[in-house]
Amino acid sequence: MKIFKVAKREYLQRVRKKSFLIVTLLGPVLMAALTLAPVFLLRHTGEQQTGMTVIDMTGNIYTQFSEALSDTLDDGRPIFNLERLAVADSFEFERVKPSLNEQINSGIIDGYLYIPEDVVQEGGATFYGEKVGNIKTVGKIESELNNIIISKRLKEEGMEYSEVKDLFRKTDLKTVQIQKGEERESSFDIIYMTTFIFIMVLYFTILMWGIAVQRSIIEEKNNRVIEVLLSSLRPVDLLGGKILGVGSVGLTQYLIWGLAALLFSLYGISMGGSPAALQAFSLTTMVFFLVYYLLGFLFYATIFAGIGSICNSDQEAQQIQTPVVMCLVFTIIIPIVIIQNPDGAFATVISLIPLFTPTVMFMRINILMPPAWQIGLSILLMLAGIYIMGRLSAKIFRTGILMYGKRPDARELLKWLKRS
Amino acid sequence: MLEIRNVTKRYDGTTAVDDLSLVVEPGGIYGLLGPNGAGKSTTIRMIMGIIEPDEGEMKLFDSPFSEKVKERIGYLPEERGLYRKMKVLDHLVFLGEIKGVSSNVARERAAEWLERVELSEWADRNVEALSKGMQQKVQFISTILHNPQLVILDEPFTGLDPINTQLLKDIVEEMKDSGRTVVLSTHLMDQVEKLCERICLINKGQKVIEGKLSDIKREFGKNVITIRYSGDRSVLENDSRVVSVRSFGQELSVTLAEGSNPGDIIRLALEHGEVEKFEVGEVSLHDIFIAKVREGEVSGDEDI
Repeated sequence: MKIFKVAKREYLQRVRKKSFLIVTLLGPVLMAALTLAPVFLLRHTGEQQTGMTVIDMTGNIYTQFSEALSDTLDDGRPIFNLERLAVADSFEFERVKPSLNEQINSGIIDGYLYIPEDVVQEGGATFYGEKVGNIKTVGKIESELNNIIISKRLKEEGMEYSEVKDLFRKTDLKTVQIQKGEERESSFDIIYMTTFIFIMVLYFTILMWGIAVQRSIIEEKNNRVIEVLLSSLRPVDLLGGKILGVGSVGLTQYLIWGLAALLFSLYGISMGGSPAALQAFSLTTMVFFLVYYLLGFLFYATIFAGIGSICNSDQEAQQIQTPVVMCLVFTIIIPIVIIQNPDGAFATVISLIPLFTPTVMFMRINILMPPAWQIGLSILLMLAGIYIMGRLSAKIFRTGILMYGKRPDARELLKWLKRS
Repeated sequence: MLEIRNVTKRYDGTTAVDDLSLVVEPGGIYGLLGPNGAGKSTTIRMIMGIIEPDEGEMKLFDSPFSEKVKERIGYLPEERGLYRKMKVLDHLVFLGEIKGVSSNVARERAAEWLERVELSEWADRNVEALSKGMQQKVQFISTILHNPQLVILDEPFTGLDPINTQLLKDIVEEMKDSGRTVVLSTHLMDQVEKLCERICLINKGQKVIEGKLSDIKREFGKNVITIRYSGDRSVLENDSRVVSVRSFGQELSVTLAEGSNPGDIIRLALEHGEVEKFEVGEVSLHDIFIAKVREGEVSGDEDI
């Protein structure tokens, strides 16, 4: 079958390219950064000591405060290395501030805490430091100081903090997704997030490889190799082989990415990460992802092929392809709009239009499994769309690939299409 | 081998090929000659099934055109083109494969041919690294890699230096000797004069003359003389033994009446001026073509 010879050439040429290697390898690197970075960050922030000078104007908070902050690191050193500095009044504090600031600047201390005399009444203290954005450190200081001051206030009212501590327990709001009347284990946020990542990947790969087909046709027109090919092949074999070859490159890329994602997730979990990432790669998700990639790619690639065969340069093609690319852009915008109501009439209708099916139906499947008949119908409609687009494109391709110079107008195109 | 009957092809109001008929018998080298824009390439593209004729029909190997027949034909298009980023050997293998040759056989043959045209050391280089002439040799190889019975070459020698031209001519002659049929299309008529046994001259999409080259030459040479002399052309024109006189630059091509003796004409010329050149018979294809085209134009004018 000559169509496979064409596909083989197209495939090998692309897979051997440096740019393919770069894009394909960059994907997992990004993925690694996304999945592993949080794990590493969590492990590494706690390992540093925080040196802090405390200026306690009340005179009776420091002892309690230093006890509250006596947690140690893995190696036994205390997390907070506290030192008390006594000053007479706020004026003297203002005088020592410059030297404290200089200590921060030269790295002797990480910061200093100013606790004013009226802190119990007014509730204001100030932390000065270089890394005031360090939520873990600042949060700890704030919450412990808070506890001490509340307990002091309670004492003034005649109550013991340890007695009423329980009354201040926070209420946790847990969210559980109910799907088809059953509880879903994984967190909804993660499903949302991964669905959008998948949709972005779908959009990106369909666009990238669809345009690749278009460009390859234009290139063949420009370097005139097309005439040699047509003396050996039927145009439809050439077109089909091209689409098949380029599509397989996309699949290869997915395979590499999928394996990389799996490895990284497993590694992430072994490092103490959440296993939720793995749930994003359920069999259902993967199968439908591949199905809708193939359908979407075939559908859009045939359209791009038609555009390529009537153009003489990439620039020229860019003008015509705009509406098609816009449709593709909509495939990532629509899911954002309908995610609130993935089972509504609007979502259902949109997900059955072949232009938008790949991402919209995929999103629906991932978030709230639609009835099987809708999935089946969407696939049927896509196949029909691919068949029709393929026929149209093949006709345009047949005539267009040998046309150099003037681009045909709509009337001429219609004439080509009417030809048997 | 190849038969074209009353074929017409029009593009946006211009007629590229106009009611053309010709027959190529098996074996030998057939020359399809004519100036630029005569309709040669259009004719060949129709033979290859790349474009369809508006009217008329075509037969290849005694049957209407089919996909299968493409594998028995080798075609070197006028518009050359190769994938720039492909390795020379891989490219040849691919072009062989789509002609139905298995990849191993294609690889073997391609290597042999590269050796023959002295491009072996370029086998693993990208096509774009090759000079134009080298690329042309690669393209030439690709047309014959699958051992086609019919080889159609459209302007095969343009852009080649004399040494490479001779190399390819030798290969074309070898193909003829091994019993293949070669159709050679070119506007450089003197370049193929010695190669072709049969020719078809076309102009403006129409056939001007077709037949065995030797017959055509004999037919023309019998009563045509070429003369360059200082005298007045009217002397010759007014002679009863002369049918017509045409001037080509400084030379006159004189067509004699049936049964006239060329010797009489040189005597007549010598009486009226100095004769620098006088030649009987041997006319070049170029001259025949020009004469024929002029003739057509004259008769065309007379029709109006």
